[in-house]
Amino acid sequence: MIRIRQIGQTDAAESYGILPVWRRLSLLFIFLSAICGGMIVAGEALPAVLNVELNRALSLSLTSLPVALWLLIAVLPEYRVERPRRRLIGVAVVSGLAASAVGLPLAEAFFVLDQWLPLQSVFQRIIGFTLTAGMIDAGLRFTVLRYLIYPQALRVRGDAVAYALASAIGYSFYLSLVLVWRLEPTWNNAAIYVLSSFTIQVVSSLFIALGIIESYFSDAFPLVLPANLLAAALVNGVLQALLPGLLSGPLSQAGAADRPLFGLVFVVAAALVSVTAAYFLYSNSERLEREAYVGHEGIDGI
Amino acid sequence: MAFETGRSPAVQITPRQRWSIAFSYMLIVIGLLLGVNQRDSLLNQTSVYSNIAAGISASYPARWLLDESADNVFRIRDMSHLGFKTTIEVRSLPVGADGAERNLLDHLSLQRSQVFIDYSVLGYDTYRMPDDSQAISMAYTFVSRDASPFLEGVSSIVNGLDILLIRRGQALVISLRAESSIYQRELATFRRFIENLEF
Repeated sequence: MIRIRQIGQTDAAESYGILPVWRRLSLLFIFLSAICGGMIVAGEALPAVLNVELNRALSLSLTSLPVALWLLIAVLPEYRVERPRRRLIGVAVVSGLAASAVGLPLAEAFFVLDQWLPLQSVFQRIIGFTLTAGMIDAGLRFTVLRYLIYPQALRVRGDAVAYALASAIGYSFYLSLVLVWRLEPTWNNAAIYVLSSFTIQVVSSLFIALGIIESYFSDAFPLVLPANLLAAALVNGVLQALLPGLLSGPLSQAGAADRPLFGLVFVVAAALVSVTAAYFLYSNSERLEREAYVGHEGIDGI
Repeated sequence: MAFETGRSPAVQITPRQRWSIAFSYMLIVIGLLLGVNQRDSLLNQTSVYSNIAAGISASYPARWLLDESADNVFRIRDMSHLGFKTTIEVRSLPVGADGAERNLLDHLSLQRSQVFIDYSVLGYDTYRMPDDSQAISMAYTFVSRDASPFLEGVSSIVNGLDILLIRRGQALVISLRAESSIYQRELATFRRFIENLEF
């Protein structure tokens, strides 16, 4: 079966009541960055010491902030449109469970990353995180998307992005929760952990979504999807390798202090660059397909 | 409200899409195998230590910290571990004409009971060295606490194992000390260390 012929048999301008996804994604990033950034800046400017229980409660509640914002910004509006994406919550839950059952145990117990990777050079850390944590994360999220939405829930290109975002939300929620639970950071450090975990998983997921889009909607060359998975793992590896170094201050006789503002700037910049790049590739792919369609069917699409 | 223009989906996937999914899984498997390879090569990477005066050479994990203080021939520590740092220590002791192995171990125990908190010997056994010679081993335990009381750290229970062998009128004590929770895992590193020790 050749995909382009099937497109040709349908009305090109057929409209679906489907929620646009990029605006929702941008709003989610803006709100989350603003809240977490505000907390980080407040923590630097006003170093208020909370008692242990209050600090822990605030830090743990921060881990659910991306999920709450996602539910408000991306999921609830789905139920007001004609054809909602019905599997968003399912994809998020299964991704979180995959992180809990496979992702984290594999990274910690099998690859024992904390024993050998943090002490290596930057280049080796990037390669190491890409081939271990990056591959695990990207592979698991791709598997979840493959079996829950590909191809049955894909109607338009935006569906792949929306479901990839849902997968990243579920996955990053579990990782943030475990990190904050174990390390018991101060609330402003918890904010940077939550924001960075969210950014790493979402940015990586966008590349998986681009691969699925190219593979399914453009029937691209078979190596395009794996290349996008590799890009997703690489982005994951680069961010995981560089972020801890930016968060930690230089060693001195007075000790080492955290630099969450450096981390915040890096995370926001990485998110901005990656989302812009992904959107550019998405738009370009959509434009090429539109041009191919017009060329195939004639200027009127008849 | 904004709407996107969509197209009817093809529920069945094409052969090309099937291949792309298969290639994706292959990429993940290959990537993870390369990750395992990198993990193994870095975890098992060793450095060589050689002390001509003491007549000892050994291979130790490259990521461990080497320390040559006056009391020991040398000591290596896993500084990446939080809490008590896993330590392998090699000490050379002079042996008198009537120096029995057990006396040396008792002497070590007496010294340690004054330094370590809640030090107690768990037992003695024989240990077969890689060249099939017999050595004597002593297992013990103690409690490790942070040197600074201001750090407010939780104490760790440490398991230790001494291997004592006497050659050419000289006794060599090879000791492993590790937090009890990771002791069994570190024992494998210790055995590899002994296999590569030349004395």
